Amino acid sequence: MACSAEERIESKDIPRPSAEGDSLNEKEITFFLNGEEVTASVPVRMHAADFLRHRLGMTGTHVGCEQGVCGMCTILLAGGAVKSCLLLAVQLDGVEVWTVESLGEDDQLNELQAAFKRHHALQCGFCTPGFLMTATGLKARSAGRALSRREIREELAGVLCRCTGYEGIILAVEEYLDHGDNEGNPL
Amino acid sequence: MTRNAYRVIGQSLPRKEDDRLLRGDGCFTDDLQLVHQLEMVVGRCPFPHAAIGEIDVSRAAALPGVKHILTGADVRKLSDPLTVLRPVPGAPQLPFYALAQERALHEGQPVVSVVATSRAVAEDALELIDIDYQPLPHISVALDALAEDALVIHPGVMKSNLLSAHEDRAGEPEARMAEAEFTEEGRFHINRVSPLPMETRGIVATWRPAARELMVYTTTQTPHLVRQQFAESLRLDESCIRVTASDVGGGFGMKLGINPEELLAALHAIALRCPVKWIEDRLEFFRASTQARESVFDYRIGATIDGRITAITNQYTTDLGAWNSTYGSAQLSSVTFIGPYKVPDAVVERRVAITNKTPIGAYRGYGQPEVNFAREVLLDRLARRLGIDPYDIRKKNMLQPEDLPWTTPSGAIYENGDYLKTLRMAADALDYETHRLSPRVTRDDGHLIGIGFSSFVERTGYASARFLAGRGSRFGAHESVTLRANRSGSIDLYTGVSTFGQGSETAFAQICAEILGMEYDAIHIHAGDTAASPLNTGAFASRTLIAAAGAILEAAETMRGKILRIAAWILDCAPDTLTIDGDAVRFREGSNQSVPLSDIFFRAIIGQGIPENESPGLEASAHFEPTDASFSFGTAAAVVSVDPESGEFTVERFVMAHDSGVPVNPSLVDGQVRGGLAQGFGAALAEHLQIDPSTGQLTSGSMLDYFAPTAADLPPIELLHSEIPSPVTTFGVRGVGEVGTIPPGAAVANALCDALADYGIELSALPLTPESVWRAIESAQSTRKGEPL
Repeated sequence: MACSAEERIESKDIPRPSAEGDSLNEKEITFFLNGEEVTASVPVRMHAADFLRHRLGMTGTHVGCEQGVCGMCTILLAGGAVKSCLLLAVQLDGVEVWTVESLGEDDQLNELQAAFKRHHALQCGFCTPGFLMTATGLKARSAGRALSRREIREELAGVLCRCTGYEGIILAVEEYLDHGDNEGNPL
Repeated sequence: MTRNAYRVIGQSLPRKEDDRLLRGDGCFTDDLQLVHQLEMVVGRCPFPHAAIGEIDVSRAAALPGVKHILTGADVRKLSDPLTVLRPVPGAPQLPFYALAQERALHEGQPVVSVVATSRAVAEDALELIDIDYQPLPHISVALDALAEDALVIHPGVMKSNLLSAHEDRAGEPEARMAEAEFTEEGRFHINRVSPLPMETRGIVATWRPAARELMVYTTTQTPHLVRQQFAESLRLDESCIRVTASDVGGGFGMKLGINPEELLAALHAIALRCPVKWIEDRLEFFRASTQARESVFDYRIGATIDGRITAITNQYTTDLGAWNSTYGSAQLSSVTFIGPYKVPDAVVERRVAITNKTPIGAYRGYGQPEVNFAREVLLDRLARRLGIDPYDIRKKNMLQPEDLPWTTPSGAIYENGDYLKTLRMAADALDYETHRLSPRVTRDDGHLIGIGFSSFVERTGYASARFLAGRGSRFGAHESVTLRANRSGSIDLYTGVSTFGQGSETAFAQICAEILGMEYDAIHIHAGDTAASPLNTGAFASRTLIAAAGAILEAAETMRGKILRIAAWILDCAPDTLTIDGDAVRFREGSNQSVPLSDIFFRAIIGQGIPENESPGLEASAHFEPTDASFSFGTAAAVVSVDPESGEFTVERFVMAHDSGVPVNPSLVDGQVRGGLAQGFGAALAEHLQIDPSTGQLTSGSMLDYFAPTAADLPPIELLHSEIPSPVTTFGVRGVGEVGTIPPGAAVANALCDALADYGIELSALPLTPESVWRAIESAQSTRKGEPL
């Protein structure tokens, strides 16, 4: 956001999109969010994380860096874990999307969430949805194959946690992969 | 009393905070979306030092959707400079306005702010603002800033770039040093790092002019102190301001008090009479949020030939950056500079230097990891020169339980503990006895193995407001709590301590349940709202539980007394024959009769069916100020394998033996220690905010360039606990929030030097990287080659 002097000079004479332009420059998309069909008109330059959070109220998906490194914004898209800050909202058109709000029911945690609670796998909780969605995707992808702790560490390395030191997260995910059945896993 | 003496305290109960955070139901600042909310973005100086000429906002103001623009001149009219909650004693007040006045003093300093209908439009507008920057010479190295002919960064306010210098001493360190049989000294460079909470800073501010209410939702560890600072800078009465921090995505000391952007959001909201939101993006975070640690230590140890330390001198310079932020630079490098060792003759001098860099603020450890690296690495160096084992030199010099309480040369009082016990625990866990006697033989993979120790004490909590007054702090040492009974039979606990991962909701509920005799699930925590909590201090300095435990104890005992009096009146007996047991008051022995708490609470709240001499209501508040700080302690040990050809190394094992007194929730204690260690390893091995001294520009200012540890990066960590109750705190707790950040750097450096003992390397700078190890090997070898045969 802090623009350099050079960028400023270059941008001087380029016509800028306006607020009105934003609302005109929209595209209608239809996709499935947590099992329900959603149709919405979205600005073409809005990224998927902002769309989910600020247009659809799915604020469980967090944003930490907007450059695809920290993993806070991880969601499941067409069955795989992706970073929603690197996607445009228009790219959601026609696909199935799952966010953290799909895990657990009413006031019940699902198995993965319960394992996180048992192993003190979260502190501030800001990164937690990223880990939960990564692990949910991993469970579907590993299809019962046992992963070594080393593999689990590597698989989870796409999401940063600054509070826990990861120990509880690894233990919770390992337990979920080894023992959890698929109940409560949307995939 | 140990933890076994309690019913709820000492249990690893599941956290109060977890369910909402696991369900995506947390309420972080950016999750709020108020009706008619506008968004703010901030234009920042791209240079480390620049004069600001004309600012032309005309094209930006004309962009549809743009609502309001502030420049430095506006801010000067509308507000006072940001105040400092922890001023450096003796330092002048710097005119730190929310937007730069005439000159910007660091890359990333706010120069202009824009509010528009969306962040995207506001960012478009920012690009249409023309600012006439005139780059000026800059200083990005602290020791250069203190050179006699250095450009003065704050002319008119300061005569040099030395903001302050402060000395603590005892005994006759210079005389003891001069007569020491042996001295060892070194210069140690500590890297500039970022606290890096996963949630950046953010704020939503609204202003209702006729109600005179500024409502602020923000990411802070200290809502009541933020309220104070808003009042000071906005020239408002504090009663006009309500600050709430709901869920906060990590703080680590960085989210204390206010910064320019929070003040700007409030100024815009006041001008527009509309909610204004600002969410910091990660690129501006790396240039604008306070940074930490950077310092240079000149540490010197005098000793006898058999390794007894006789004197320590430590002069260190911290690089404050361009402004004194709310909490300024770390002070604990002075408080704990002698560590766990018995050294009566010692002196420490702290110098604070101004540079053209992003301001330094508080960060977990607050000076303790820094000084620990210098002292523990130098101690091993001394041991090697004297031919003494690193374990033995620590053992020889550690304070013994019978030496405590002991007043350090900087005036801290170590209350009790068994420092040697933790050294022994760490050594035994790694079978150090076998290792120390073995030659350093190359393993099959070409690596050498070394073990390194790092012993420490950690100051936790504050020793009373009187102590803080002596250090210039503008906040107290107390915590407070209000307990309120409900007609449904539960208890609401109101605290100004916000929730940012530390688990205070859980720990507070455990203590409250313990004293009241009620179930943990019946205690509900309401945290971080200044309009719904008694005035307090806030969560930092590993002090929250030390202070809050006393407040909860007192309030719960008051409430318990009244509950039992009402129950005794109902049952027509003496209160001391009764006890609270879960959801009812029962007889301690004999009769099975009981009264449900919900009945007693209902009677008390409506004032019907209670003794005539009892006032209605069932609510208690208490403020508690600890009289002393408590010192946690421990020893960490690292096992490292290193390839002497390339300098590549791996931390294969890491043991942390520590004592944080009585744990209220052992699982939370482990979580705090492990989380701190992860940050300690990050700072020791990878994290580095690198500033190119020729351009003054940050070159590692994005998530791709700043290497915080991932799950795949951390070594296996084993925790060993000692639980000696502290005699100076409620329930014998010690603080535990920061301890993990302290030992990793020195333990790894000492392990590397141990593994490479035959090469005779010295490591004196963080972070430790394969390159720095390789260079140390090269340097040691070329020094040797130069030696006469």
